[in-house]
Amino acid sequence: MVARLAVCLLLAPFLLGIIGKTKAFFAGRVGRPYLQVYYDVFKLLQKGSVYSRTTTWIFRAAPLVSLAAVLASALLIPFGGWAAPVSFWGDALLFAAFFGLARFFMMLAALDTGSSFEGMGASREAAFSCVSEIVLFLNFATLVILSKSFSLSQMIGERSWPSWTAMGPSLILVVLSTFIVLLVENSRIPVDDPATHLELTMIHEVMALDHSGPDLAFIIYAGAVKLFVLGAFLVAILVPYQSHHRSIDAVVFLSGMGLLAVAIGVVESGMARLRLDRVFAFIIGSFVLALFGLIVALARVL
Amino acid sequence: MSPLWLDLVLTVIVILAICLLSAVRLGLIIRLFAFQSLVMAAIPLMLGGGFGVHNAVIAAGTILIKAILIPAILFWAIRHVSIRRDAPAVFGISTSLLLGGVLVGLSFLFSSALVPADKPFSDLLIPSAFATLFIGFLLLVSRKKAITQVVGYLVMENGIFLFALLLLETTPLLVELGIFLDIFVGVFIMGIVINHIQSEFDHMDTSQLTTLKG
Repeated sequence: MVARLAVCLLLAPFLLGIIGKTKAFFAGRVGRPYLQVYYDVFKLLQKGSVYSRTTTWIFRAAPLVSLAAVLASALLIPFGGWAAPVSFWGDALLFAAFFGLARFFMMLAALDTGSSFEGMGASREAAFSCVSEIVLFLNFATLVILSKSFSLSQMIGERSWPSWTAMGPSLILVVLSTFIVLLVENSRIPVDDPATHLELTMIHEVMALDHSGPDLAFIIYAGAVKLFVLGAFLVAILVPYQSHHRSIDAVVFLSGMGLLAVAIGVVESGMARLRLDRVFAFIIGSFVLALFGLIVALARVL
Repeated sequence: MSPLWLDLVLTVIVILAICLLSAVRLGLIIRLFAFQSLVMAAIPLMLGGGFGVHNAVIAAGTILIKAILIPAILFWAIRHVSIRRDAPAVFGISTSLLLGGVLVGLSFLFSSALVPADKPFSDLLIPSAFATLFIGFLLLVSRKKAITQVVGYLVMENGIFLFALLLLETTPLLVELGIFLDIFVGVFIMGIVINHIQSEFDHMDTSQLTTLKG
């Protein structure tokens, strides 16, 4: 339990380091150190915050609420041989609701600043996430049908080879569309560019623009944990192997997460950011894939 | 249960058809079609007969004609008319993707109503044949440039090919070779037609062919 939390909390920012190094490798640069995100978070935690006079308590609460919601969602997901500490019938809905809560407060905080620039980011975030959430739920539906359970611990994790051999097509489609959802939810490159502060490219970054000091540290850290949680969800579907030896499972899981981070880095290096109207087509493409997966699952099971 | 690899190949074929719906650059469209044909060439080798002469000839013919020759002709055609992008479709990419999703659903609905005489090698074979056929048809009717319409026709043909695989063991080799030749000649003629449309009207947007030129 303690080891599980430690892995999740300590290794989450490391994924961003791996993505950064992969992108630097493709660009022929040295890149920032693997631990840069840790340095950033520590630096920001030691600073003070600046608050605009137009903001209210919502602006101060939002980073804390979003961090708390993302950490709570980490409790619901089993990974690397560790069972989820909290697990009950229907916890997949709560899992999605935590992400929704975090996003809702970030959008309110962005509107709270009274800046039209931040309002633009909030509106883009709302528009894209309302489609990507449907895709996530379609994938949940497919997993529910395949596992005949509505609890994340049974839907993923305990999955083993038999369900891959029987349901390979469905699972491949679930993995593909979940990967796109992961890119959308974490504002990675085809959807949003986390590295720039240009008006045209910003969705997530623009909402964090007025936050400073510890608040910004919380937002960066919550983003890292969110990437870790969704990545763990994906890796648990993709790597059904479970040896029931704590250390082997942990190694398999962690190397899976590492490879996932490298895959994200490769996608980011190989693709340009899409035009805003193309982003919709991109997410709708993942919706069609998820729908296809659900249909295959229904056709096989019923 | 049907073999996993066959299922995965069929899924990849439908995924590539969905990707075709979202593609705008002509080079990408042709490459996606070539890749779809290449993946499809693996199917005859996975079916019941295994590595027979018949299956091997079908696979080799698919690779040679659909994955190499036809894309080469299409690339030659777009080089000659020197265009890179498709005109915007009749409806946007999002709409055609959504329609593609609906068509995939419908193809599963239709194929559940069909009862094949022989048990097919995979229960996904007929639905994915329908889905590829429908998506090819959607490309054919929704895009405006002649090249994309040709690719739509070829994707439809890929769907028909998937259907024909059900009869692989009973169809004489000669018939299949005849079909290959037909497609090849068809695409060859369409390539020439595209060039003529281009030289006559300075574009290859077929939606403007209905307006009279004085």
